[in-house]
Amino acid sequence: MAGWIIAVALAGAALGGGVPDKPAPLPPYGAAYTPTTVDERGLWQQADEAERDLRDSPVVVRDAALNAYMAKVLCRSVGEDRCRGVRIYVVRAPVFNASMMPNGMMVVYTGALLRLRDEAELAAVLGHEFGHFEQRHTLASFRRGRTIGDIIAWTSMISPYSTLPASLIQLHFAYDRAQESEADMMGLRYLTAAGYRPFAASHIWERLMAEQDATALGRKRHVTHRYAAGFFADHPTHLSRAIDLRAAAGSEGDRGDDALDAFQTAMRPWRAGFLADQIKLNDFGGSEYLLAELANGAWTPELLLTRGELYRERGNPRDLVSAAQFYQQAIDQGCTDPVAWRGLGLSLLRGQQVAAGRAALKTYLEKAPAASDRAAMAMLIGEGGVQ
Amino acid sequence: MKRFGNRFGMGAIGLALIAAPVAAGNRLIAAGQPVAVAKSVLTVTPSVEWNKLGARPGRNSETWTFDGDALNDLTFYGGIEPEQTLFREVSKRNKPLPRVKVTMLVTDIPTLVENSYRIALDTPLFTVEGMEPMAFAGKPGIRFTYNFTRPDEDLPRKGEGRGAIIGGKLYLITFEAPRLHYFDAGVTAFRQVADSAKL
Repeated sequence: MAGWIIAVALAGAALGGGVPDKPAPLPPYGAAYTPTTVDERGLWQQADEAERDLRDSPVVVRDAALNAYMAKVLCRSVGEDRCRGVRIYVVRAPVFNASMMPNGMMVVYTGALLRLRDEAELAAVLGHEFGHFEQRHTLASFRRGRTIGDIIAWTSMISPYSTLPASLIQLHFAYDRAQESEADMMGLRYLTAAGYRPFAASHIWERLMAEQDATALGRKRHVTHRYAAGFFADHPTHLSRAIDLRAAAGSEGDRGDDALDAFQTAMRPWRAGFLADQIKLNDFGGSEYLLAELANGAWTPELLLTRGELYRERGNPRDLVSAAQFYQQAIDQGCTDPVAWRGLGLSLLRGQQVAAGRAALKTYLEKAPAASDRAAMAMLIGEGGVQ
Repeated sequence: MKRFGNRFGMGAIGLALIAAPVAAGNRLIAAGQPVAVAKSVLTVTPSVEWNKLGARPGRNSETWTFDGDALNDLTFYGGIEPEQTLFREVSKRNKPLPRVKVTMLVTDIPTLVENSYRIALDTPLFTVEGMEPMAFAGKPGIRFTYNFTRPDEDLPRKGEGRGAIIGGKLYLITFEAPRLHYFDAGVTAFRQVADSAKL
């Protein structure tokens, strides 16, 4: 009985669910590409609707310069002819992620931009997502899932105690993981062909693992390394992605352009805002790791200021001492942002150093006379307010 | 926030029917009578009728509304102790909320609200617009205004908060509503309630 079911299952899987229509021969990024099959049309319709929603959402970063830069990097990575089929949306969300819809809508989170170090790494992410699009992964995964669903439905009717459904579900997730690996390799090929440094792709995953460990430690959790993907994982582990990408990059992996300056110039106006979103997540360990990683030994006034805010917001007595030091260092290094004096004053006041705290707040108000919290700060100094 | 209350609303209603049918339900708050709120010593006297929701955002809190908490939401936080969160955590393990600290100043209250909302609602669209000193229940306190948008909704909301740290505990009253019509329509009633706060 079981053997018979497996035979049917495999036959069904081999036929791709018995769907007679094949993917259209034209590439999906082509000009005015129209999906031809029922499945692909349906997926594109759904994606179009999601895109209409997202396009008008306040969460999208609409800055022309940033969007032009993203498009430029994608075009250099995958080629001028291919990149025209894609619209990139930069979405304000302080976590590392990017995604691709089957209709050519690409979403990149600001949290990813904060965590990437150079243009080569950005190109690796964009190339990976483009790989999903070019290979029509959503369509393939949808069909595969439907076939497996069909087989599971029939199996459970014919042979309710069969273990086949469990293996099929496993097969489905393994298939999704294979798609991710394929997109990783496509991204790497684009990266290499465009002259970027191939090791950039593996570096992303290595740092993400370290950040996750830092987050776990900061929350007093055990650091759990996953060496193998779990049953329901639709992505391979960060570790296996890093290893595979590094191996595929080969011995020439460290050669190539990382376009660091261009990346830093494009991100400079945004980094303070991305950092501000990050430190409000109450993820002390992860944020501290990220700041140290960004500083790379050379703490700039901007990073010191953010580090001060991070420590002040956690607000343990020893954190307030550290926070005051970081603000002071930022000021000593030439920070001109009045917020540094505000942070210094508030940290000192919370640390019960009243006179020094009030002096710093006075300097803040001198430097930012039109601050929206002026009256509240004046109250802390002892000048007016409700007592 | 009460929004999370709705998810397990059915279960709560089921339990309420068995355990305490009167106390757990929504209730009318009469106008002109002092009423203790948020299981605390905080007392207010509303000049108009409000509806008190049975679902609480957290242990020491309570929500009032006119038309439902999605349209106007007045929440009292009655004496949140140090090392407690503002409201119930969504996931203590993966999305822990910031906690009230003994070292907090009144000017740290808006930040606590902002970070708690950002984490619990999963939205980066939260801005504290301004703050100014304002007495709360006769003690030095703060008034602050903010705006935020919940994800997948794109409806701009405005909020106003009045709070103070009294005896090491955080007392706070917030009012929030869609920017379009509802905020302006309800904010006067909120301010009257906040002005009437007594400890």
